[in-house]
Amino acid sequence: MTEANPVVLVVDDEVQIRRFLRAGLELDGFSVQDAETGADAVRCATLTPPDLVILDLGLPDMDGSEVLERLRAWSNVPIIVLSVRSNETEKVRLLESGADDYVVKPFGMAELLARAHAALRRHVRVSTGEPVVKVGPLSIDLAARIVTINGARVMLTPKEYRLLQLLAQHAGNVVTHQFLLKEVWGSPHLHDTHYLRIFVRKLRQKIEVDPTQPRILLTELGVGYRLVAPEGAVAAAK
Amino acid sequence: MVGMDRVRRELRGSVLALAMVAVATVVVYALTQSLEVRRGSAVYLLPVLLAGWHLGLIPALVAAVAGVLWSGYFFFSPYYSFYLARPNEIVNLLLFMVVAVVTSHLANSMKGQKELAQRREKEVGDLYAFSRRLAAASSAADIYLAIEQHLASLVQRKVVLFGAASDRDTKAEHGALSQRVRDAIAEVQTGRTLATIVDDGAGDIWLVRRVSQKNADFGVIAIDLGSVPPDAIEEVRKRVDDVLSDAAATLERLDVARALNDAKMRSETELLREALIGSVSHELRTPLASILGAATVLSKSPAVAKDERLTSLAGVVRDEAERLNSEIQNLLDATRISREQIRPRQEWIEPQDIVNAALERRRRRLSGHHVSLDMDSNLPFIYVDAVLVEQAFGQIVDNAAKYSPPGSPITVAAKRNGRDIVLSVRDEGAGLTAQESKQLGERFFRGARHATTTSGSGLGLWIAKAFVSANGGKIEAASAGADQGTTVSIHLPFATPASQPEVDADD
Repeated sequence: MTEANPVVLVVDDEVQIRRFLRAGLELDGFSVQDAETGADAVRCATLTPPDLVILDLGLPDMDGSEVLERLRAWSNVPIIVLSVRSNETEKVRLLESGADDYVVKPFGMAELLARAHAALRRHVRVSTGEPVVKVGPLSIDLAARIVTINGARVMLTPKEYRLLQLLAQHAGNVVTHQFLLKEVWGSPHLHDTHYLRIFVRKLRQKIEVDPTQPRILLTELGVGYRLVAPEGAVAAAK
Repeated sequence: MVGMDRVRRELRGSVLALAMVAVATVVVYALTQSLEVRRGSAVYLLPVLLAGWHLGLIPALVAAVAGVLWSGYFFFSPYYSFYLARPNEIVNLLLFMVVAVVTSHLANSMKGQKELAQRREKEVGDLYAFSRRLAAASSAADIYLAIEQHLASLVQRKVVLFGAASDRDTKAEHGALSQRVRDAIAEVQTGRTLATIVDDGAGDIWLVRRVSQKNADFGVIAIDLGSVPPDAIEEVRKRVDDVLSDAAATLERLDVARALNDAKMRSETELLREALIGSVSHELRTPLASILGAATVLSKSPAVAKDERLTSLAGVVRDEAERLNSEIQNLLDATRISREQIRPRQEWIEPQDIVNAALERRRRRLSGHHVSLDMDSNLPFIYVDAVLVEQAFGQIVDNAAKYSPPGSPITVAAKRNGRDIVLSVRDEGAGLTAQESKQLGERFFRGARHATTTSGSGLGLWIAKAFVSANGGKIEAASAGADQGTTVSIHLPFATPASQPEVDADD
């Protein structure tokens, strides 16, 4: 993105997966390092701090979530987890313990790149303090707390805005129910997912062209919500 | 020893009784002096009653005799002599003695009853707690723990269970026992004897027996009785027998024996199956992930991207890898269903979210069809496992795409119908004959018309049905006949509007 190619650390014990990931990521302008084991990954990340980590959960030496915790102990590098299907509880747990997003195996390169770029952009946005998140016709100015669609101001209630703000801060990446509930309604409502359903419905009615077929605020079943990737990330992913 | 105790107790009682008689004498003396009461012999009843009530028969008799003699000595002529001259003194004496006997007897039986009642109450309480635990026990281990704790509270000593196929590790406890007790346990375990009593060499008596006299599978129990006298062993043993016969009956009734055996067998087959599923899912999917990922990288690489034929080939690799993956997923799901391992994680969800997710995931597969959506806005929320319902609905969408010609329309709808939310997929494809309608959704059923032309395992709709019914819904299929198109719908109850979730006013 900036001067040098961003460095991505790929952690997977399967050589074939590493090979295609390397090819796909290099094709997309990343410079790739890889690690076969959790210990390797931690060592590698310490020696040359990467800009992004792609972490497979089924490692031979330690649990993927342990690698995640070890990395998170000292680094806020974006981490995308490669998970297996039909284990929503695990996905949520990994997201809660610091993963930025996940991709379910098997996956297409475009999907992985979209997640990766979204996580990278968020990282850049946080460090540069860039205030405006643009998603299609929707623009969210996090500094001025102004939401517009095609330039027209959208009036949101404080809770609706808070919800959209959290999603915008993670634009392109999934945000768990629990995180949203805790941030908007507080810890006692951690399991009241219906609060979210109701507010998301209201929010969609204000920001989506067709609320029954949302294009901006997407549902990740059993996990949470995702604001689609902002411009730039989408282009890179295609 | 017991006899000596008793003599000592009676002596102490008698001394106390005499003391009370002395007090009574003082009282009677005071009464006769101050109030001019002539004869205070009735006062002597008090020590008799008290002694009878609290101290027992002998002290009461002592009190009776002493009272009569004392009153004769002090208050009747000839004064200061124990000579009982008058008939009423004889009557008094007899009366006092009768009172002594009756009171002490009454007191004794009252005390006995009270103790019995208290003991019964405790026993009943314990038994009740025990049977409640037995009833609540969901595994053999629970039952054994209940037996162990109940017996431990009964004998107030250590109780150890062995050899029951419970999942508890008793090795450590076994090691802590003395050699003699361990030998006894081994003897009972091998069936040479059903029960035995053994001295552990350190002064404690152990009762070692089978939990059930009839069934060796239930294991062996060893109970530390402490340093009990030989005649008390029999009593404890009887009580232990009672408890264990109840417990054994419960174990029999719950058919734990068979369950234990089954569990052993099952855990082996289960392990095998799990290993198989694990390796299938890992060994097949890992290469698939590489194939699919590599195909998507290839299609984007400059050399391939500029050649349309190569791009489409990369697309074929990807599509087929995806199809293979969904077949593997079906096999895994089918195994999961057979093992009755579907536990829906229900939550409130917007019905459209499920439809949208299912369509999004199949965007590529549906790209050859003209998909139109017909969804009501503001549908009630439903309380389901969204992931399972999405998989079921996706399966139906897949079928529609599979059994209808390319380019034909597919209509996806989400509607409210009475108390149901209906998610439906209508295609204009192969339709269903009456016979096919009947068999649709049976495991491995595939219509004979398509068996050779369209691939599939016949598991999809069966899985979908299982997932939907796990969420309290049902799947229906309707078709006007062969080649007349099919409408398959998922019906999910949303209960009453009153049960819809609500949130207090915003902010």
